[in-house]
Amino acid sequence: MSTTRRNTSQRLTLAILILLSVTAITLDYRGEASRAIKSVRNGARDAISPVQRVLADVLHPIGDLFSGAVNYGSAVKANEQLRNELGALRRQALENETAERQLQEILTEQNLPYVQNIPQLLAEVISGSSSNFQETFEIDRGTSSGVGVGMPVVAGPGLVGIVVSAGSSTSVVQAITDPDSSFGVSFGTPTSVAVANGHGAGYPLYLANVTADMRVHDGEVVYSSGVTGASLPAGIPVGTVESWQQQGGALTKTVQVRPFADLSGLNYVTVLQWFPAP
Amino acid sequence: MPVVPVTGRAWLRVAAVGCIALVVQEGILNGLIVGGAHPDAFLLLAVAAGLVAGPQQGAVIAFVVGLVADLFVLTPFGLSSLVYVLVAFGAGTAASLPGGRAPYGFQMTVALAGGVVGTLLFEGIGALLGQPKLPAHQLVVVAAVVGIANVVLVIPASAALSRAINIGPPRDLGAVSGGSAAR
Repeated sequence: MSTTRRNTSQRLTLAILILLSVTAITLDYRGEASRAIKSVRNGARDAISPVQRVLADVLHPIGDLFSGAVNYGSAVKANEQLRNELGALRRQALENETAERQLQEILTEQNLPYVQNIPQLLAEVISGSSSNFQETFEIDRGTSSGVGVGMPVVAGPGLVGIVVSAGSSTSVVQAITDPDSSFGVSFGTPTSVAVANGHGAGYPLYLANVTADMRVHDGEVVYSSGVTGASLPAGIPVGTVESWQQQGGALTKTVQVRPFADLSGLNYVTVLQWFPAP
Repeated sequence: MPVVPVTGRAWLRVAAVGCIALVVQEGILNGLIVGGAHPDAFLLLAVAAGLVAGPQQGAVIAFVVGLVADLFVLTPFGLSSLVYVLVAFGAGTAASLPGGRAPYGFQMTVALAGGVVGTLLFEGIGALLGQPKLPAHQLVVVAAVVGIANVVLVIPASAALSRAINIGPPRDLGAVSGGSAAR
């Protein structure tokens, strides 16, 4: 084959493949084809989930072993700190029992959503995000276990994400640090509401719609707002205010929130079986 | 660069290599996080396909690899295949240039460039499609991690693809003349 003819053939192949890719992208943005693609994606994730579970069971302890060996000194310090915090929390729990009982009675009367009354489902994280451009992870629970799209996911002390795709046996959770993540939060006394946006792994959340008259303090705890039409129930701890700035004369403040949950080393999470109101 | 047609049985072997890459990516590399980024076995496979099979067949292999990769992410379906096709074509075109270079060094250089360019293309085309953008320094970290991982893994990936396509191990590109048969 002459060089000219070969080059023409190569360019033609390239053009056809680019056209097919653009067609696939276009189909993904259309309603019916998008649903079909989503079903195929869920099916593919369900198909590979047994391999992921086996590898997760094998690799999590090995990863923890290496991490422990490398970080032994800091692990001892962290252990001591955690023991102290646990003791303080136990004391606080005892003091809060009476207040808790009264609150439950009020909420029962008011029929308000409260996170501790929501059914919870424990799930194992079997895979991190396959893309460097999204902060997601996969859990080993799907629709067959009662997981649905839109359910909040928590781990340890706070919110970690929201279920964005649910197959039969696995689900994909979008982390709160995902650049596409956005949800309502509340903070402060009197209560102020804002929108928290993710900015990528390891970066704090940024609060939008914080007006100049809202009071913000460093270290203040931020919760999910649960206002009418919200995508999350009220009261889930999200993080603490890390810093805030206000330019001279500006109408809004820039607030950064450090999430409670450590999103870098998740092994187990809890899915709150709660759906947003239609 | 000799152009060797990929036979039907070779496509099956290429599919097997792709399955191995899938398991490695989903089971191991997704958890190998450095600075918030992890290696991308599918992009590596696209670069290796271009290096081994040439721009035309490499782009076809990269297209299929991209479709498979898109099954396991939430970005628009077809975005990965578009990026991988362009990267594989570029890698294959670079491999077709007059040689005299040592194959390993050249492959690693192309793999590094492919990783960086592929990452930037993904961000750029994704932004055109309305996908959220990464912070600039995070994009640099992602490009660096993907590029360096490609440099480390391109030799075994190229060797595996070479054997799958049945053209033998990579040779000194400068010493190869057109039309040599596959082993």
